[in-house]
Amino acid sequence: MCSACGFPSLPGHWTDAGARNPGSRLRLRFTRLAMVNRLLAPYRLRAHDDGSTPGLQLMAPSGERVLVPDLEALWTEAARLAGTPIDPLSPRSLGDA
Amino acid sequence: MREGARADGRLPLTIIGGFLGAGKSTWLRHQLHRKAFGAVHILVNEAAEMPVDNLLLSKADRVSVLAGGCACCDGRGALVAALRAICAEQDRPGSCRIDRILLETSGLADPGAIARLVSDDPMLARRIMLEDIIALVDALHGPVQLREEALGRRQVESAGRLIVTKPREVPPLQVARLVNTLRQLNPVAPVEGAEHGEPFGLPPVPDAEPYALPDLAGASAGPIRSCRLDISGGNGWAAFSVWLSALLAARGDDIVRVKGVVTDLDGRLLVQSVRKQVQPPEMLPEPEQDSPTQATQNDVLILMGRGINEELLAHAWTRFCDGPAIACL
Repeated sequence: MCSACGFPSLPGHWTDAGARNPGSRLRLRFTRLAMVNRLLAPYRLRAHDDGSTPGLQLMAPSGERVLVPDLEALWTEAARLAGTPIDPLSPRSLGDA
Repeated sequence: MREGARADGRLPLTIIGGFLGAGKSTWLRHQLHRKAFGAVHILVNEAAEMPVDNLLLSKADRVSVLAGGCACCDGRGALVAALRAICAEQDRPGSCRIDRILLETSGLADPGAIARLVSDDPMLARRIMLEDIIALVDALHGPVQLREEALGRRQVESAGRLIVTKPREVPPLQVARLVNTLRQLNPVAPVEGAEHGEPFGLPPVPDAEPYALPDLAGASAGPIRSCRLDISGGNGWAAFSVWLSALLAARGDDIVRVKGVVTDLDGRLLVQSVRKQVQPPEMLPEPEQDSPTQATQNDVLILMGRGINEELLAHAWTRFCDGPAIACL
């Protein structure tokens, strides 16, 4: 944890598990971003990772941007921006809506 | 490093739950006598101001009592402080080492809420690993508790191991109906019997009709189904962790357990969750060459919950994996 900003407050989100070396961590970070955007696309939201800022930036069509530390916070904020939970089983996510 | 200690230095925590009067202390006392859990520090939580259970466990080496508040609600602060004190004690040079912490919850505690409490605390999340949740169910009173108490159902649903207590005096058919009710609520957890802590064979009546459980306020409606999801064709841990985290954020109250092993380039990860709470996944050692059963279980997840079925999960997973590539940089 950084003594100046307190990030990360927890020892990493569970989704950060598995990557054992810096190369794997980088691969996980960007593969994950592509996967996150797949789920966000039906809700007209987008996530962005500039590679240096910790966490992800979540962007709404209105231009609103939110910085989130992990995927749990991302889905909570995305649900707030979309007005509905980002549910992978919903007709909207499945393209049936 | 001490033999049996975890490489990451975290202390295993086993939560022992069950409704009021289920026989938690009696069962635990017998397990301590048999040294089933090794060297332990026991935390006894009682919702009442006057603790009694610690007297039953007076022969244990290290017992701390948290009285006057249930550890999943009023007594949260006391539980966190007690767990932190145990960790601090373990860090002290020359202190007596323990193999795990056993938390005997009050009969009014939701083990899932306690698991969440541990993982949300910045210090405990680094020092403690939730090892198991054991729920005890009274053979005589269990059916009524499950019928009338949403909490009783939540305790059973979040358990990794179920123990039916005091079955000797109850008609075998009644016990068998209770066992099948438990299997319906929690299809993954093994169900055992125990009489005064001693293993007790449960009646083999596989077709005994489970008790009907009416909808309750505070309990989600509908039966829990156990679904199998094959993720072997996907994009490894990156894809699965994203998909599961979104699923739990949207439906975490309905998906009560997730269990399985996910393979990735760096190895095999063991994933376990209780409701929205996912335990930090552990990297597993590679299976032995002559152990084909290990290999066949990779990338097959068990999801237990309401409002889901295997077809819907498989369809959603395939749809997600086959989705269009989206520019993200």
